[in-house]
Amino acid sequence: MANSVNISIEAPIENQIQEITYDGQEIYQAPLSMSENLARLAQKIDFSKTDDEFCNIKKEGECSSDTKSEDEKEPGYQSSLWPWDSVRNKLRNALTEVCVLADVLSIAKEKRYMVLDPVQPEQQENRPMVQVYGRKKALGAAAAVLLAGVERLRASETMRMTRNMPDFHIDLLRLRQNWRLKKVSNTIVGDLSYRTAGSKFSQTGVFEVTKAPEEQIAQAMNAAGPVPSALRVTVPPELQGVAFISVLCQKEQEDVVTATLSSAALNCPSSLPGEGAELHWQQKLEAAQNVLFCKELFARLAAEAVQLDASIPHMVVGNQIMATVLPGIQLLIGLCHNNGQNTNNANPEGVKPEGPSGKSDHDHVLEHSLHQLLRAVHHSNTHHPFPHPATGPLGPSKRRCLAGPMAADRYELLDMSKEQSLLEQIIQQAQHFFMRRRSEYVLDTIAKEVKDPLIVSHWNALNSPTQSCVKINIMAYGYDAVCRTSLVVHVGEKTLKCICRDGKVRHLSYELQELRDLIYCQIYQHQMTAVQAVGRCMGWQLLASSSHLGSGPVEPLGNASSCLLASPNGDRMIAIRCEPSVGIQVFIAQSPRKDFFASELVQDKKWEHLGGAFKEIKLEKMEGKNFLNKMELLMACLSSPS
Amino acid sequence: MGVTVLQQYPVPENKTGTHVIELLTKRILALGATQQGQFLVDCESYLSHPQMGTTKTVHILHNSEQPASVFSILESGTKNIHVIADGLFDLLMMKLSHQYTSKKQTKIESKGPRFELGDFCVKLGSVTMNQNFKGILIEIEYRPCVMANAVWSLLREFLQGLLGPAVPVQPPQHLLSKMNEIYTPIDTIYQYLEHFSAYRKVTGMRNS
Repeated sequence: MANSVNISIEAPIENQIQEITYDGQEIYQAPLSMSENLARLAQKIDFSKTDDEFCNIKKEGECSSDTKSEDEKEPGYQSSLWPWDSVRNKLRNALTEVCVLADVLSIAKEKRYMVLDPVQPEQQENRPMVQVYGRKKALGAAAAVLLAGVERLRASETMRMTRNMPDFHIDLLRLRQNWRLKKVSNTIVGDLSYRTAGSKFSQTGVFEVTKAPEEQIAQAMNAAGPVPSALRVTVPPELQGVAFISVLCQKEQEDVVTATLSSAALNCPSSLPGEGAELHWQQKLEAAQNVLFCKELFARLAAEAVQLDASIPHMVVGNQIMATVLPGIQLLIGLCHNNGQNTNNANPEGVKPEGPSGKSDHDHVLEHSLHQLLRAVHHSNTHHPFPHPATGPLGPSKRRCLAGPMAADRYELLDMSKEQSLLEQIIQQAQHFFMRRRSEYVLDTIAKEVKDPLIVSHWNALNSPTQSCVKINIMAYGYDAVCRTSLVVHVGEKTLKCICRDGKVRHLSYELQELRDLIYCQIYQHQMTAVQAVGRCMGWQLLASSSHLGSGPVEPLGNASSCLLASPNGDRMIAIRCEPSVGIQVFIAQSPRKDFFASELVQDKKWEHLGGAFKEIKLEKMEGKNFLNKMELLMACLSSPS
Repeated sequence: MGVTVLQQYPVPENKTGTHVIELLTKRILALGATQQGQFLVDCESYLSHPQMGTTKTVHILHNSEQPASVFSILESGTKNIHVIADGLFDLLMMKLSHQYTSKKQTKIESKGPRFELGDFCVKLGSVTMNQNFKGILIEIEYRPCVMANAVWSLLREFLQGLLGPAVPVQPPQHLLSKMNEIYTPIDTIYQYLEHFSAYRKVTGMRNS
């Protein structure tokens, strides 16, 4: 073959290790010299085993030498004796035996002192009746064993029936319907691990099924309660008890130790409801399976926490993983396992059990998400996308399978190889959770602070664990048909995306002051457009408007905006100036001005139509439910001929 | 994936291939490009067994730009049929060694440095057949565009600027018929095959 490869095999040139010192240094035995090696090999030859017939003849003579040689074997090869000693002894024994044999043969040959007679083989007794009796006896013994067994079974069955005891085999059948069992020699063992469901966790979940002692069943029968089971399952001690994954989001504490301690105080129920012994096997196995699942989840998360290199490194301390979600907020994931062996009071840290308020910190949603994520991993381990070629490798995603035929370039392939770990996903979910809660809070407080206009936020009911969407409507009561400003905020993991009414998209960071400022700007923008819309309805004319005025003091956020409206017949004007930091100011002017007096410079009467100085209106003194209502009233009042 | 044009660059009589590559490298670095690793395009041809009727040729090509793919082009007289498959196709060809025999001595490849300059990707490849230097192929890709027609003039200008006025720049034969179609990776492979076939026919260096 063109592609065959030559393989050479040779013994490793390594000496035997005699000793390993504490600092790891290995001390080798010196290699054997040629003569030593020969001696060692010769030692292995068993001269007494070479010829059986020879041995039989000389049995008596050998007895003494055998014991002797055994004595000599004891010191072994490394003894102080001469290395060829045992070989010499064996050879000498052999020589003795051969000499004796030669003597015997020579004596027998003379036929004067000894005659060799053939030994008669013992006659086999061949009486048929004896055989029949023998067989009959053997069969009788076997039948007696079987009968005794039947008798015992029948007795136990009748006893069970009379005392209404549960049937072991029926229980075993039920157990088998739900759990994987197999018989190993004399015992029944089962497996409660998630291996068959796609788990790759190394810890086994073997349990043993035994028959419950009858006294206990009888005891349990007498006591009130559910019918006891005739079988008992024994789970390994490391899977006993109750376990759960506690997920905690909290403000970052200055001292790491306090954070660990306070969270270690999470209450963990010491045992399942009901006493351990009387627990039904189904509940017991389910609890053990849950313990195993939690352990796998935690082990995986801890491994990921160590591997990931985040900007603020994740910490794994004991049964705790600490990760920073957002600046100042930590995510604590802990494994709480109480195997019922240490009593509750013997808590070494002396942590007092927390009240219901402490327990409510535990985030059930994130715990559930964690379970879901690991189950998804299990599922993907066993469910490979179809179709996959019989010769192709199992495991790569569908996109990766198609990458070859679709001629994906290296960037796409690199993109495919990225995989998010469970920890990253749960951190993202926690981040999103905080972003959502903070945005909710900001929107609610703004809605509480600002009564005019109304701020209505609609949260989409359908969202993903890492993205949700809120629609914000800004409108004035009674004028929602005239003008309404709506904007959509996409809440992501660490950023917000706001899509405003004018189509502008703004990306905001996790600092929610930005969202607050944006909403305030939108409110004032809304007021300006709304007043213009009301003016149009009233027949007023828009003379000028500017959303970014260059005049006046510099605003901390946004710019001041203004507009100028003229009444239908043009004799009145309203000027509105809106500054986010000050509020809304309204000024009016009228022509002909009332305070026109002819002076030396302006003598003609016609100049009175130019309009006079603007006078501010005290809005808070005006009637009307809200700003737009006040403006409508003002416009109505100013348009009527006075 | 954008439109790619493959251009053959003549090697002057008294210069070596490495010298020309170095010259071009200097030129493109002066334009502000950054080197992004190496690239390799190789081609191996298999002939069908005469017992199967008319002899057909299958070209197997790999492009380092699409590392997960194997491109195969079957020459059957008038029409060329191509198949894009994943890496296992190579093993399949080994299984088919009874029907298709490899012409080892015609294994040809183009490899060299790969540069990125804004939206352009430039590859300076020296073509070798059985370790014998045959010539220089320059691959220019304009990544944001997938229509050859829309980008041809831009590419020509870029090529002329890079290679100098001495080199005539024509649209590749393969692209002429599909100037208005969406450009796909197999079009690059066809261009390479076109040039590789030309190199195989010529003994020594190809300069035209």
